[in-house]
Amino acid sequence: MTATVEEPRTTEPAAPAARRRRSRLSREQVILLTALPALVAITFALWAWWRASADLDSIESRQLAWGTLANLTWQHIKISLVTTAFVLVTAIPLGVLLTRGRFRRASPLVVGVANIGQAAPAIGLVVLFAIWLGFGFWTGVLAFTLYGVLPVLRNTIVGLQGVDPTLVEAGRGMGMSGAGVLFRIELPLAVPVIMAGARTALVLVVGVASFATFIDAGGLGALIQTGITLFRTSVLVSGGLLIALLALLVDWAGRVLETIARPKGL
Amino acid sequence: MWDYLVQERADIAFGAYQHTSLVVQCVVLATVLAFALAVLVTRVPRLEGVANAVSAIGLTLPSFALLGFLLPLLSLGTGPAVAAVTFYAVLPILRNAVVGLQGVDRTLLESARGMGMDPVSTLVRVQLPLAWPVILAGVRTSTQMTMGVAAIAAIVLGPGLGTYIFSGLEQIGSANALHSALVGTVGVVVLALVLDLLLLLFGRLTTSKGIRV
Repeated sequence: MTATVEEPRTTEPAAPAARRRRSRLSREQVILLTALPALVAITFALWAWWRASADLDSIESRQLAWGTLANLTWQHIKISLVTTAFVLVTAIPLGVLLTRGRFRRASPLVVGVANIGQAAPAIGLVVLFAIWLGFGFWTGVLAFTLYGVLPVLRNTIVGLQGVDPTLVEAGRGMGMSGAGVLFRIELPLAVPVIMAGARTALVLVVGVASFATFIDAGGLGALIQTGITLFRTSVLVSGGLLIALLALLVDWAGRVLETIARPKGL
Repeated sequence: MWDYLVQERADIAFGAYQHTSLVVQCVVLATVLAFALAVLVTRVPRLEGVANAVSAIGLTLPSFALLGFLLPLLSLGTGPAVAAVTFYAVLPILRNAVVGLQGVDRTLLESARGMGMDPVSTLVRVQLPLAWPVILAGVRTSTQMTMGVAAIAAIVLGPGLGTYIFSGLEQIGSANALHSALVGTVGVVVLALVLDLLLLLFGRLTTSKGIRV
């Protein structure tokens, strides 16, 4: 959990500062874009060096075998990617729908309900879904999707609402259809906000995917769980470290994509 | 379900109390820490980008992974729970406190100096009251977020309602599994809502009259 959700109320007072440095990347962004991959690479290298040279007992060496680690990492990535795909195909169209015509009035309600839902602990959702649907990969995907939908939904709505209404009117005045305005004006202008939401969701999902192990859906969380039950610090810390590195890497990839995909006019 | 609630009411109430107490104490501690850090960051402008980057990276770390790091250092129990909850609570408050302190009009600071106020009383009597609504918004975000972190802390035998979620997981197949998991999950949501309302009220009471909307 716990990646930040782009909070409108947090950013409001920062508006003048943001406007001043819109032309170039902020200091924060520069640090994140350059230091993040360096941090991940160095930490991973140190860990790999430790793993290769450490003196492990039989349980540890079985848990931390390279093949096992690669397998767990792949399971983790797979469940995260499938979940994110589900999140995007549900949240973006829903967000678009909630800013159209008569559905517009429902949007504060939906965002409010989603906000309350955000307070629900991810592990609780996973357990409830497991009781309902049994253990397995798809149960995990469903629970995590529910969890990841909110940031994308909220940012889609906020992004679309943030589009200057005069631009929409100008589009209509030029004879564009409703769909034309949506796809050629509103969505491109809202892309940065929507992308930020998608990145947040992806990072959240990578984090909560650690719980997949509790319902036999694999992933790197298995290392933490085994580490706790068998009192093996090395396994525990390796699990925590690999999950954290994966989350940071995904966050960085998202930031790079955001910088590249930002429409030229903005 | 009703029978379960009635039967377990004392335990549930105690779990809810522990959960709230953990979150509230850690958030109070985090507010103090974050405010001190924010004052430092606003005095040294070069730190601002670093602070924001650190808080963005911190929020990226999954809580389950962080608990994994903390466990060998602090052993099972309340220790890692307090550390993890405080860590996550600091980040949004820090960000907002920096924004809030910077949002204070410079002319006001000069007036304060002109009136003969020293830096400490300027901070406490001018900057803090003006930045307070923004800081409090950060506190609300932190509280919501750490309610969930506190639930996960049950895996390291931390206190609170998370215990019900994990006991639900262990008992899957029995009738009480659903009850237990529901108590844990819904209980956390309800507590989060109640705390948020209380914070909203607290905000109205503590916001200085001059800037109240």
